Amino acid sequence: MLRTLASATVLTVAILGLTACGDDDSSGSDGDSTTPVTIDVTFEGGTVTPNGERVEVKTGQPVELSITADAAGEIHVHGDPEQTLDYGEGTSTAEIEPIDQPGVVDVESHDLDVVIVQLEVS
Amino acid sequence: MIPGGFAQHGIGGAKDLPLPPELAIAGAVAALAVSFGVLSLAWRHPRYDGREPGRVLGRPAWVGLSDLTASSGWHVAMRTIGLVFFCFGAFAAVFGQDLLTNPVFGMFYVWWWVGLPVASLLLGPVWRAVSPVRTIHAAVGRLTGDPDRGLYTYPERLGYWPAALGLLAFVWIELVYPHGTELGPVRLWCAVYVGLMLIGGAVFGSTFYERADPFEVYSTLLSKLSIWARTDDSGDDGRLLVRSPLANLATVEVRPGLAGVVAVLFGSTAFDSFRDSTPWVKLIQGTDVSAYLLNNLALLAFCVLVGLVFMTGTMATGVEPGTRRASLPDVFAHSIVPIVAGYIVAHYLTYLVEVGQQTLILASDPLSNGSNLFGTAGWSVNYAISYHPTALATAKVIAVVLGHVVGVIAAHDRALTVLPERHRITGQLPLLVAMVAFTIGGLYLLFAA
Repeated sequence: MLRTLASATVLTVAILGLTACGDDDSSGSDGDSTTPVTIDVTFEGGTVTPNGERVEVKTGQPVELSITADAAGEIHVHGDPEQTLDYGEGTSTAEIEPIDQPGVVDVESHDLDVVIVQLEVS
Repeated sequence: MIPGGFAQHGIGGAKDLPLPPELAIAGAVAALAVSFGVLSLAWRHPRYDGREPGRVLGRPAWVGLSDLTASSGWHVAMRTIGLVFFCFGAFAAVFGQDLLTNPVFGMFYVWWWVGLPVASLLLGPVWRAVSPVRTIHAAVGRLTGDPDRGLYTYPERLGYWPAALGLLAFVWIELVYPHGTELGPVRLWCAVYVGLMLIGGAVFGSTFYERADPFEVYSTLLSKLSIWARTDDSGDDGRLLVRSPLANLATVEVRPGLAGVVAVLFGSTAFDSFRDSTPWVKLIQGTDVSAYLLNNLALLAFCVLVGLVFMTGTMATGVEPGTRRASLPDVFAHSIVPIVAGYIVAHYLTYLVEVGQQTLILASDPLSNGSNLFGTAGWSVNYAISYHPTALATAKVIAVVLGHVVGVIAAHDRALTVLPERHRITGQLPLLVAMVAFTIGGLYLLFAA
């Protein structure tokens, strides 16, 4: 009886293990990971758009923020390592260094204390 | 999983990717299949509970190890290790700078909150052995009388409730309080913790630590999933045994508040997953209502919801004439511990390994003045886990499903001793549904965040 349970568990674990072997870390290497992803960011009167959206990017893909702001400020990118981007009033672009490590990286506005986008790097 | 409330500069960097949907669904299906498999195929007489008194489960461990871990030298060494960490942490907290590079934050949020439970899973009741508050209490107590006895006896009805509140206080500063990554609040939290523990020990004796020290309750609870036990479980004497985690789990001491402790542990980890999800982020940022208030309410709501679901699951059954239905949640709470453990491993694994390494590196420079006390300041963190997201996701699902399997078996065994003959199988169904709900809920949160 215990044997049946044990074999059932082992089987389940084995199936899950096989699932893992099927799709291993190849999602970052194919596809066009050199063209930058552009995100339009608008700061207006104490709010920012986008407001916490999730954006999928590939590992090593540069991200460009196209910023329109009514005041200067600072953006923090919470990756490993952290990046700080300064922007001025008016329209500007800020480049986020390509992120090699898979994960979810918060891009937040330091002054407004909100998450602008979450980059899903895979 | 980043402490310090919402959108603050936590001590972690990037977070884990969400689970791929196929994997989450595979895990959920496996959990369901195993649950009903156990219900229909498992044994009909309790294996781990209700044994003849005096019959001890488990195999004696190697005599050398048993004697070593029972020796007074070992106890002194363990207490010294605890004191060293305590003094170093206190030093960094008092004389260090209020920067994120102060190792105190990593020690508090990673080594203590995640490292200790994982160590307990592997090695047994670690906090009981190293707890600096126990050491201080014992030292002072030895000077003034018997450290085990206090002014009063610990009230039985209080049970583990103080520990549940203590754990809630920790997750509050970790997940909700916006200034959780500033030195002052962390220092204050630790000072209040030490103060309350020492006062409690003086008033109620050393039993206070077994029931009311949140970290000791947490560590001892998870240690019941390890393979280690002692024949004389009340102290550290007796022979060291090696036995099945299921047999160990059945020895969890049932006291009021156990269900509360488990609900706080599971609910808070679920909330931690939830608050990084896009819907919650957008809700918090899009509304004028204070984010602090919303996060507080959500944390409480998660803990209460888990508690209610569990209570309904355990109480919706027929009972023996002599059994109080209200006692059932505490009687069955041990079966949620493996689910909690699996989910904690899934949620915090990367955090423990990566931010834990980072804390080790920062520990060489406690005053943030460029020193290199332990030679680790020049090391760099190994991010290998993060570079294999599929393997990591698989490991998470395996941990959650394994926790579920162990939990279902433990609940089944307990039901065989507690529930009347007529309800032995049907009475388990509501609890089974609750556990499946927890596991699928947990997998969903790992997928959606």
